[in-house]
Amino acid sequence: MLSHFLLMVVYALIVSLFFTLLWRRERKEQVKLFLQIFLGMVGGGLLVAWLMYPFPSGPPAPIP
Amino acid sequence: MAESGSTPAAAQPVPQAARPRGNPVVAVLSAWLVPGLGHVYLKRHLRGLAFFVLVIASLLIGCKLEGNLYKVVPGEPLTILATLGSMGMGFPYFLLRYGLHYEGNVMGAGYEYGTAFLLTAGLMNLLLVLDAWDIVRGKKE
Repeated sequence: MLSHFLLMVVYALIVSLFFTLLWRRERKEQVKLFLQIFLGMVGGGLLVAWLMYPFPSGPPAPIP
Repeated sequence: MAESGSTPAAAQPVPQAARPRGNPVVAVLSAWLVPGLGHVYLKRHLRGLAFFVLVIASLLIGCKLEGNLYKVVPGEPLTILATLGSMGMGFPYFLLRYGLHYEGNVMGAGYEYGTAFLLTAGLMNLLLVLDAWDIVRGKKE
């Protein structure tokens, strides 16, 4: 359950389903918007992760 | 109210989509109190059920990950906004906060993710309140 990627996918799934149902009524448009949001979130997350890859993560954050 | 003769502009038939379908106060309050209930009240049963499942799923995942259920922290003004956002989930917020005494666990491995899920549940429900308002005012089908 604590896989970063899995949590990102679950989060993207919930949010994209929510906005699809909120903003679209036609089935075809719903599928299109769902794919746009879902793939945008997951792909965007992977892209940002890839862009950050060369940068060192630094020391661990202090525990509050 | 249509009368014979010339019809004034105010008496033109109102489009079906523009007609209020219920009490706005009841629609908004029920939408806030229980996710999806506002849509059920407005006869959007399936959509209401789907919204309920999505918001509650986000809420349960957030709790499972031991995320932070925001409350106002003195000296940290941003927690006011976050708390208002979290309170957007309605009754579940107060049930978690005061009924189940949910606190979250800052040491938990899923703390940050859980916080995002919990906050998202509240914000999604706030959007549902606005959607119910638009529907009951006839601005949206």
